[in-house]
Amino acid sequence: MTVCSSAFESLGRAQAKALGQPNLPILRIAHPFGNRSRTEVETMARECVDQLATLVAKGNPQEASGQASAQAAHAAASRCERIEIAGDVDAVNRLFRRRRWSDGLPVVAPTPERVERMLQGVLRAPQSVIASVAPAFGAATLEAIAVNAVASGCEPEYLPLLIAAVQAVAEPQFNLQAIQATTNSVAVWVIVNGPAAQQLEVNAGMNCLGQGTWANATIGRALRLILQNIGGAVAGEMDRATHGQPGKYSFCCAENEIDSPWESLHVERGFARSQSTVTVVGAEGTMNMNTHTKDADQLLRVFAETMQHPPSNEYTHGGEPWLILCPEHANVLQHAGLSKADVKQELWERSRMPARRMADRDLLRVLESRKDELGPIGPDTLLPIAQRPEGIGLIVAGGPGTHSVYVPCFGNSLAVTQEIT
Amino acid sequence: MTASTAILAPTAPVHPEGTGGAAFSLDRLEGKVVGFLDNAKPNFSHLVDAIAELLSTRHGVARVIKHRKRAASIPAETSVLDALSADCDLVITGSGD
Repeated sequence: MTVCSSAFESLGRAQAKALGQPNLPILRIAHPFGNRSRTEVETMARECVDQLATLVAKGNPQEASGQASAQAAHAAASRCERIEIAGDVDAVNRLFRRRRWSDGLPVVAPTPERVERMLQGVLRAPQSVIASVAPAFGAATLEAIAVNAVASGCEPEYLPLLIAAVQAVAEPQFNLQAIQATTNSVAVWVIVNGPAAQQLEVNAGMNCLGQGTWANATIGRALRLILQNIGGAVAGEMDRATHGQPGKYSFCCAENEIDSPWESLHVERGFARSQSTVTVVGAEGTMNMNTHTKDADQLLRVFAETMQHPPSNEYTHGGEPWLILCPEHANVLQHAGLSKADVKQELWERSRMPARRMADRDLLRVLESRKDELGPIGPDTLLPIAQRPEGIGLIVAGGPGTHSVYVPCFGNSLAVTQEIT
Repeated sequence: MTASTAILAPTAPVHPEGTGGAAFSLDRLEGKVVGFLDNAKPNFSHLVDAIAELLSTRHGVARVIKHRKRAASIPAETSVLDALSADCDLVITGSGD
């Protein structure tokens, strides 16, 4: 059984159902819980034990339900439900709005004809399961992915990229379960590398994180709809984000491999330059770093000082922060003789933050999470932002200008790179 | 005549036949082994200690086993789950803040 604070009881029930345990007993306590006094906690403990004793005394003859287990659904996934709607595209959008299938914006009606067109070119059966998507562990069949791709406005040629992105987020090291159900603002950032970026016209230059490019907008949107509609992360239900962020509408760009002075991300991660890949990152948001300096040392210093922020999952867990360097800043560093690895080493050393800068309760989390990694931690301990310099992610993207971007991340998630096939 | 539009639902297709989850079947607390998987959220360790004390002193629970995760946002290690599953009649976990 599980103890749930009241604000998370619905998540607990939904998660239990998704894991094939719809009858999992839940002991309910008041929310918030973390700020309660010891006396209050002891009172809550008595209430929990009373609830438990009542369950046991009743005999609790809860019958196994007819709900499908996650494993059964995954193994025997069938076709997407066909729905006949009286009306036109407006009626489709009213349905999507009512069923909470949209991201809040109008969709392209996923008619059977459009879905079939989307599936052309991918030589797999529509009901083939690409991945199981947490936290509901819905089976992301090829067809279901295609339905969400159509709804998002994707072109059919984007589908292999989306498939790779779904495979990537389902990898255990990405920790999608936590990213989907957290109170954190984390969104999934999709980075495209290789020939596919140009072939699909994924923007790597000016305004690559903003509006206006069809591929960037619709690919990121489609992944979000997949995470919501197949993965079950509906806002306010299994998605418990306190605020969320705009990146949860769409967060997709390509790396600017043409203007980068270094090897590309996918080459750095062991792929051939000729291969195309997606990399998924659990990104908390973006912070602009506008500096006109042409001095590499000063550039590294101001970047590192930007990265230091006390209320940070990175410092709490030893995470994987990312930076998007504009071509101008990247060239300043490269001209000073720095490789990408050198930049990461410098940033890792310079961004170490005295533990005393964290709030007391946050430091307790650090002590718990990083004691094996760092040993004894005191107020003067310099906390590294990542466990190793290699843990800092870095791409070059954007157009002309003196702006780079710091992308703080979820902390307990590692980016995954997947080939597009 | 009202026009109609056919669409495909964007949700995960579910096979109509499936197996249900196990029923909760603990018939008593006395003599049982109760495990706790502490999610490392603030105060949860105190709740665990208090519940464990009450179960032991007032309800005759034979033994209490406690495991604490390194952080709330990571899964428990498989070895921990296997041990709790093997040794405990009941495992209590936590969710929320």
